[in-house]
Amino acid sequence: MGYVHDTAMSQFIPPSLFHRPTGTWTTPAGQVAGTIVEHVAAADQTGLVNIPILIPSCSMASAAHGACLKSIEIDYEVLTADCDALTFVVNKVTRGADTAVAVVAAQTFTQTPTAANALKVDQHKAILTITTPFWIDNDEYVLVEVTVNQALTTTVDFLGAVANFTLRL
Amino acid sequence: MGYVHETHMSQIIPPTAMFGTTGTYTQAAGAVTGTIAFHRAAAASTGVINIPIILPSNSVALKGALLKSIEVDYELLLAVATSITMSLNKVTRGADTAVAVVSAVTVTQDLAAATAAATQDQHKITVTLTTPEWIDNDVYYLLVMTAVCGGTVTVDVLGAVANFTLRV
Repeated sequence: MGYVHDTAMSQFIPPSLFHRPTGTWTTPAGQVAGTIVEHVAAADQTGLVNIPILIPSCSMASAAHGACLKSIEIDYEVLTADCDALTFVVNKVTRGADTAVAVVAAQTFTQTPTAANALKVDQHKAILTITTPFWIDNDEYVLVEVTVNQALTTTVDFLGAVANFTLRL
Repeated sequence: MGYVHETHMSQIIPPTAMFGTTGTYTQAAGAVTGTIAFHRAAAASTGVINIPIILPSNSVALKGALLKSIEVDYELLLAVATSITMSLNKVTRGADTAVAVVSAVTVTQDLAAATAAATQDQHKITVTLTTPEWIDNDVYYLLVMTAVCGGTVTVDVLGAVANFTLRV
């Protein structure tokens, strides 16, 4: 039996899999022809986007098997005007047993660009680096929560995300 | 340490991941009970359905996933379409403050766009990359299904399957 330990794995997560419970969102073509985006319309509002991190998990995560999540990159564009704020949270969700609720725990990370720069009008590639990378148990999943506090004329396009992980099988 | 080189890997891409422009799209039950579909309502216009290719990538050359072909299952209902044409876009992600760059990948489709692919029927079309590509962590692929439609035809896309070699 073989053994895989690949430290350079990545997974693209398209915007069509994003979850956006608040704000007014549509799915137009992107600013660059040929790209697709989740687009939030201009409004003085605070929208929320959850990005499900679709990488494998393993019931032997405690033994360091499966996927070890190391960082997440998010491609987005702020258009017309700076946001009032644009912040990220990495949530690890531990699924509940039958009749039990899920438990959410925020994970510590560092980010580039800085929070002050992440909200400015421009194309952005935000990188969230998990302070302590973790192996994902089969009873867990990860959501990146992006809170977009728009100014009146701000629009934001999310092009997608990429999760970087070590695969060990 | 071992090594995996599996040339027969495939990945289903559900219709819930698809992205439609020009037209009215809904999530609907498929024509066959128990299936799900990305449904385009009848409209005399050219619908564009982007199908994100959700495969692993790798920052090391010649590792990860080698994309070889993509199959799309779809149904044209009520009437024929004028044409169904497939193209493949490779999106190279931008660094922070830089835009993404899109380039076309050369592909062939096994059903002729204006004839075999456009009949009122169930279809399984195979799109083959002329030169298979290893997917770098800074790129992703969007398969573009362009449906030139008359006023009656509806389009149901049931899903897609990406065929690849996995090397990890």
